[in-house]
Formats: sequence, structure tokens, C-alpha cells
Amino acid sequence: MIESTVDRKTRKFRELNFYDQQEENQYFLLPFRFHRLNDAKEVLVNEVGDHLVASAGTVQLLVSKQLSKIEYPELYGDLIANFFISEEQIPPLIDLYATRYRTKKSFLDGFTSLHIFVISLRCEHTCHYCQVSRVTQDKGTFDMSLEHIDKGIDLMMRSPSQFLTMEFQGGEALLAFDNIVYAVTRAKELAPAFGKEINYVICTNLALINEEMLGFCKENSILISSSLDGPSYVHNQNRHRPEKNSYEMTVKGIELSREILGKDRVSALMTTSNLSLEYPVEIVEEYYNQGFRSIFLRPISPYGFAVKNERKNKYETEKFLSFYKKAFARILEYNFSGEFFSEDYATIILRKILTPFPVGYVDLNSPTGAITNVIVFNYDGSVYASDESRMLAEMKDYTFKLGHLDTHSYEEIFYGEQAQKIVQVGTNESLPGCSDCAFQSYCGADPIHNYATQGDMIGYRPTSSFCHKNMEIIRYLIELMDSDKNIEQIFQSWVKQRT
Amino acid sequence: MLLKTRGISLNIRDHLVGKVTRDPLKIDADSFLICESGLPPMTVNNFLGVLTSSDDSGQFQDLPTVFGVPTFEHLAEGDIVVVSNDGIINTFYRVDSFHNTILATERCNSNCLMCSQPPRDKNDIPRLYDIYQRAIPLIPKDCFELGVSGGEPTLMGELFFSLLETLKENLPETEIHVLTNGRSFAWNAMAERLAEINFDRLMLGIPLYADYYQIHDYIVQAKNAFNQTMLGLHNLARYNQRVEIRVVLHKQSIPRLVKLSKYIFKNLPFAEHVTFMGLEYIGYTPHNIDKLWIDPHDYIEELGESVEFLAGQGMNVSIYNTQLCVLPERLWQYSRKSISDWKNSYLPECERCSKLDDCGGLFTWNLKKHSNHIKAFI
Amino acid sequence: MVKDGEILVFADFNLYSKDAVFKCLYWFGDKFHTGVSFIDSNTYCISLRPLSIANVNSDDLELYLQKLERDLIDYQLRDTIARETQNIRDLLVAKAFSNGEFDEDPPGDVSDPVGFNPNLASV
Repeated sequence: MIESTVDRKTRKFRELNFYDQQEENQYFLLPFRFHRLNDAKEVLVNEVGDHLVASAGTVQLLVSKQLSKIEYPELYGDLIANFFISEEQIPPLIDLYATRYRTKKSFLDGFTSLHIFVISLRCEHTCHYCQVSRVTQDKGTFDMSLEHIDKGIDLMMRSPSQFLTMEFQGGEALLAFDNIVYAVTRAKELAPAFGKEINYVICTNLALINEEMLGFCKENSILISSSLDGPSYVHNQNRHRPEKNSYEMTVKGIELSREILGKDRVSALMTTSNLSLEYPVEIVEEYYNQGFRSIFLRPISPYGFAVKNERKNKYETEKFLSFYKKAFARILEYNFSGEFFSEDYATIILRKILTPFPVGYVDLNSPTGAITNVIVFNYDGSVYASDESRMLAEMKDYTFKLGHLDTHSYEEIFYGEQAQKIVQVGTNESLPGCSDCAFQSYCGADPIHNYATQGDMIGYRPTSSFCHKNMEIIRYLIELMDSDKNIEQIFQSWVKQRT
Repeated sequence: MLLKTRGISLNIRDHLVGKVTRDPLKIDADSFLICESGLPPMTVNNFLGVLTSSDDSGQFQDLPTVFGVPTFEHLAEGDIVVVSNDGIINTFYRVDSFHNTILATERCNSNCLMCSQPPRDKNDIPRLYDIYQRAIPLIPKDCFELGVSGGEPTLMGELFFSLLETLKENLPETEIHVLTNGRSFAWNAMAERLAEINFDRLMLGIPLYADYYQIHDYIVQAKNAFNQTMLGLHNLARYNQRVEIRVVLHKQSIPRLVKLSKYIFKNLPFAEHVTFMGLEYIGYTPHNIDKLWIDPHDYIEELGESVEFLAGQGMNVSIYNTQLCVLPERLWQYSRKSISDWKNSYLPECERCSKLDDCGGLFTWNLKKHSNHIKAFI
Repeated sequence: MVKDGEILVFADFNLYSKDAVFKCLYWFGDKFHTGVSFIDSNTYCISLRPLSIANVNSDDLELYLQKLERDLIDYQLRDTIARETQNIRDLLVAKAFSNGEFDEDPPGDVSDPVGFNPNLASV
């Protein structure tokens, strides 16, 4: 029988300060990084990417242990609630914080999910910036063999991830459509035995698309990822076809694909050339007018044909950022007038800023997405750590070739010395410049980009275009949200994941 | 609405639990026969007992009886009552209501400023547990939803889990909604034990009043409550238990309400439901009203931002205990008719309102403390 | 100070850690030759001389000086934070990659006036 230990005093109501657990005005710092947003504000970011914008000088006050709960009750509460400071050496909710950290990094759980099959190197366009180093149509030796397709699929099934994406690229993937049919059919057959669910994607310029191909796509729920660089005068200039009608073919292809597959099964990607930089607003409006409600504004990569055509493609990151902001302003205009229209790169970053969920975008991950998220099987059977790695190989640099489907095992490719070296330097928590950066949780590491542009995998942050671009875009997004609550709400609508 | 009545008891030791019937032919060892006007013409020995308004106690030598009961008009056929030897007849379950709740205990380890059921530090658990073990098998199997409340139900210890097991076994179709402060689940073994029951129709409603510990602890008047509740929620999530977060809206919780909603999204994204609840003017609330009262009209901005933020991220959100005329139209879709029938009332002003049927109305005791902005829609 | 087209800053060794100084100077390496030396046992001399290829305007040198001074303070703050929070950070990551084996005990007690104790409960 439980003894009743009734004490009348315990039911007396106490005031707010009775529940203050702080001892002797002291508090302990928890791990965080900070950055000056502009002259008036600084941003603090904790270990799981929660951010707090505060007036300049806050960090100084905080670190010198002079931030008083009495003088700044609201800010003090924010700092405790968001794991910037603690009143005890080990914060009482540390296990909860650890769970949040684990959640953020849980994109690693599935390991490699995106498997790119370069099904053919043949192409009938001659885009001057082409990263793919295309080869013209009649060279049959540039298609992936059925044997290599089989071996690639076998490796794909070894991935620990239940959910896989099989993406067909080229050249122009549709030129080898029969092989795509073979590959999809085989993968579908094997998937149940391995407990896998596979998404299929075909990257194509759509010039060769027809109803029969789309019928197969519909049957197998294949997504189409096409290329649309902007209005015709931009698109056709970028993507050269002898008949000078790339734009018209693309638009027609998109219409037909939407008709048969449904609007949400057709997406478009753009690439930004020097010419594109002059038309930010027009490109956004073209996407809107073509019925898209999102756009991915991405700069050109310094690989493949892009580098060879230096005069046409070399531009500084500043110009890209200027283009980006003008396009972004037009996108926000659509949102202010009540329409949903998002920018994909910003959305990826905003997901990291505004939600507790893991975000596994290949180019913006730490550890890097190369190998841990994506693998590339080339038309000739060689295996690369990423899309960019393969492009370097086309320029005769095989640093990121991990092996070959005929000679290497799964373990040798995914866990071999080369793979380990790449991933080890692909962790921005320990890279110079990145280890103290406030935006570390929102950014990533790209050892392959560093190698291609600066000569080594670790890279040199002050001259890194990857760093320059990301720091400014992240800073810009945070500043926008802080300046206008409506913009914050628009961004919230972009990152919503559940229905 | 009456939930209790009283007469003089005879031949009752401790308490008896049974259904009620007015039909003398429906002989049932689990039922009390209600005799509203005098004594029945035939034998009643095979009933559990007799409840009568008659003052004459002479007839029933051995049969458990309560006589001299002033009224039975609140009792419907099949309702379940608990009859104690002090002559009190407590209604345990009403067949015509969607709002039946088991009061697990009046003990509590918190002491919320706005508690609507102020705690008593007397160990009532053994007695109540015994009553419920007998009463639960009598509950109709088509009962849609049953609440378990208190005080703090988890203070029952192992008996809490037995109670849930009894509910799971006897009511396979019923949703069970337990109200708890969640603090006991900070001890992982409690959450693990709960998970062993494997009860997928169980949902725990757990209050959280601020993102900052000091304010939450102040509102619930218990040190470490915030940290224990948060750890409890995480332990429950570890075992995939279904949880709902409840926020009572008053002067202490409004200032950080939007920050709380962001905190809930970031730290408790697994919550099945979040509800924002208007203040109930009963229990401790009148005593602490100066610390608590804010006209709902004056917190609509904070409420709207919080609700729309969470709903915008795909969480399931409701507003309870707030009248439609006080809410802006864009929030009506979240408003629920949440007030239990037995404590639900409307103002005279409401009689002519065109939205009377859609609106949840007020708590009976809020008729004397409500928003100044209540106005009928014509 | 700015002297002869070069930026010079004297910093007290007791106020600025080596890590802070080097991490700060790292970011100027794209435009400047960066140098650090000891003037005496207590004072660093930090110098920035514009790289010839970098096109640094001599009018901007004052601005870069201001930036350097500000950044030194910021990196010293970061140094303090890193030192003070190293252990918690390690603990956090260790817990994140565990499966609950290292979970802390709950803070305080369940504070039931009638004496329920989840530690003793027969669960």
C-alpha cells in the first residue's frame, strides 16, 4: 500500500522565477557556427542546421558569457530552445538533439540509390557546351552492350537501399531505345527477388520521341527528364541541330510526353551558357509559359565540351549569381501574385534550413554524394564515381574511374581504396574553410569539382567557384527570409513534403 | 447534465458496477433495475440490485439497493453506473454519448495553472482500478471512442498497462485516447512496456505549452516537466506509439506560440495531430485567471500563424473550444466541435446564429467567461 | 595600418590563438601574400601584400584592413566556441550513431506527491 506523502505546500502556485534552473547566471555554449549576413545582422547555425538571425554583436556577447536572461528574455529562450546554449554542461535534451542529427544524416542509410546508365554516347545535336563529348550518329560501337547492362543491373541490386533510381543518359538516350527496353525489362524482373522498388528516368532532348516509346514509358512509369534552356533564341543557340529546330522539337516532345504520361511525369532541366546569362527573366517566363511550375537554375560545369569551348563558356561566378538573383526575383513575383513556382536549387537548400528531414542531393551533400548516393556505368563498361567523373575521363583523366564491370567486384568498386579516398575528403566538416563555415549544414563537398577546377580533391576555398556560389546563394536566401515574412512563407510552401 | 445522483444504500459493501435497465423483464445479473415509481410487481432477486425513488426500504432484505433517489432522468437504458455504499450512483458510461471518459486517478505529478480537474493527493488507484476491471467488459462493443484521463494516468504504474490491456481485449473496435503529461515515458522502460501491448488503436494526447523549458514548467507548475515530456515523446516515437500534441491557449502560452509551432515541427514531426485549445473556465482557472485570461480575439494572429504553418507543412491540425465568430474564415476548416456534450452550451446570442450547427459553442462554465466578440452570423 | 601598399596588423599573442590567425588568413590567400611572424614573444605581426595578379585597388586597402581586424575577432570567437564545445560535439555524434545505448537518465524525478517512481515500477 502506497503511503500518502501529502504535503500541502506542494500544491501552492509558484512564480515564473521558481522554475529558473540557471545557476549563478552561468550558461554553457553548445556547438554552433556563425556568419555576418550584412552590416546589421549575423546568423548563428547549430549542429543540425537550425538557424537564428540576430543583430551584429550577439555572438560576441554570447561567447563572452555576458548574455543575461533578464536583459534578453526572448533571445535567451530562443538560444536554449534551439540548442545554442545550455544551463548544464550536458544539455538535458542531448539525446533528442542526437536523434535530430542522426535524422539529418540518414540520407546515408540507403547508400547508393541513383544508378546512371550511359546507354549510348551517340547524339544528333552539337551543343557547344556539351559535357558529354558526343559522337555522331553512325558509330554503333558507342552503345552500352547487353552484357554490360546485365552486369550493371546486378551491381545495382547489391545496393542496401530498398528504393533505387535507374537513370538512362547519353549522348541521346533514345537513340538506343531498344537497349533501354531491355534494361528496364530485366530490372523489373529481378527487383522483387531483391526487395527493390525502382524508379526509371530517361534524360533526353526529346527530338526522337514517339508514341510507341511513350507507350512503353507509361507502362513502366518511366519519368522523362528533358532539356529546355529557355525561349527559342536561347535554346537553339545553345543546342545546335543541323535543322536549327531544337527548341521546336523539344516543345513538341514535351507536349506529346505530357499527353501520354501526364504532366507530373515530364520535367525539364536547363543549362546556363554565356548567352543564357543575358536572359534570366525570359528563361523563367518560358518555363512558366510551357506549364512548368519549377525550374532548376544551375551553372555550367567545367567538363567535357564546355572546357573546350572556353570562349563561349568561361564566365565568373559573379555573373551567374547576378543572373540567378534576377531570375529568382521574377520567380518570387509569380509567388507574390498567388502562383506556386519554385526554384529547385534553392528548394534543396531551404529544405535543409527549414525542415528536420534528411536531404540527399548529390551535389550538395556531406559526405559527398559521389558513390554514397550515385554511381555511373559508362557505355563501355567502366564505372565512375559520378557524372562529372565520367566527363573527366572523356578528357582522358581517369582519376575517378573506380573500375570496370568486367573486372571489378561490387566491393572493389564501392568500398575500394579509390572510393574511400574520395569520400574521406568529401566531408566538409573537416575541410579547410568549411569546418568553421556557418553554412556547413546547408552545403556539401565536391572533391571531383575541386580536382577538375583546382587540381586537388581538397580544393582551395577562396578561389572555389563551388564555395563562392553556394555561400552567396545561402546567404541571399537567409537574408531574404529575414527581410520579409511573406518570403519566408513562400519558402515554407516550397519545402512542404507531405500531402 | 447530471452525472451523479445519490440515495441511501442497503446491502452494499464498497461498490458495485452494472448497467441500468427500466425493464423488469430484462433480468440480468449485470444490471440494476431502476424503479422510478414504487416497487416492481415481480421478483427482482436475479438483478444485480435495485435503484429506486421509493423511500420504503422494507422489501429487500439481502438485495443491494439504493432507495430515496431523487431522479433517474439522466440515465438511459444500458448506461453503466458505479454504486457505492455511501449511496452515490456515479454514471460511468453513457450509451448515447460520443464523449465517454474513464477517470484513471485524481492523483497528478503536475499542478497546471489552468487545470480543469485539480488533483487530489489521495491514492484512489486501487479502488478505481477495481471498478474499471468490472466496468470495461460491460461497455458496448460498438463504442466508437473512449477517453482515459485524470490526473495523470501513468501514475498507476503497472496497473496502467493492465488497464490498457483490458481495453484492448474487451473493445476491439474502439479508439482509445489517453490524456497524459507524458513525463513518465522519459523513463524508457515505461515506453517499452507500452509498446509491448501493441495497441494500434491507442493514441496519447500530450500537452506542450512552450518551446522554452522555464515557461512550460511554470505553466504546469513542476520542475523538469518540459524536459521529461520531450524525452517521453521521443521514447514513445522510438516505439512508433501514436501521439497528439495539445496546446492550451492563454496569456502564458500565447507569446511564444508561433515559436512553439516551429519547435513542434522540427522536434516532433511524428506527431499524428496537433490541437490548439481554448481555455476552460473551471478547476484552477478561475483562481489564476489574472495570469491566464486573454480574449481569443486578441490572439487570432498568433493562432493563425501557428496553425497555418503546421498545416502548411502537412501536419494534421485542429482548433478546439473556440467559436466560429471569433475565428477568421480561413481558420474555420480547422475548428472542431470538440466540447463533450455534457458540458456544452451556447449563449443567448447564439440562438439566432446561422452557423449554430457548425459551431462547437462554449463550455457550460465559460458562459460567464468568454470572448467579448461573440456575435451571431445572420 | 596600411603602409607602402601593405596591410600590417599587430596582434597580441595572448588574445589571438594561432589557429584563429591562420584560419582567418586562409581566406585572404586569393588576393594577398599573407605573412605571420613574431615581433616579440607576445606580439604577432600579420601582413597582407596584394598579389600582382589580383587587381587590388590601393584605395580598397583600408577596407581590407578593417575586414582583417573584424575577421580576426570573429575567428577568435570561433576558436573559443570550438574549444568549449569539442566534448559535447563528440558526445552528440557518438550518440547519433548509437542505438540508444548511451542515452542519459531523465532529469529530475517524476515528482508525484503520493510516491510513484518509474524506476521502481515493476515494468
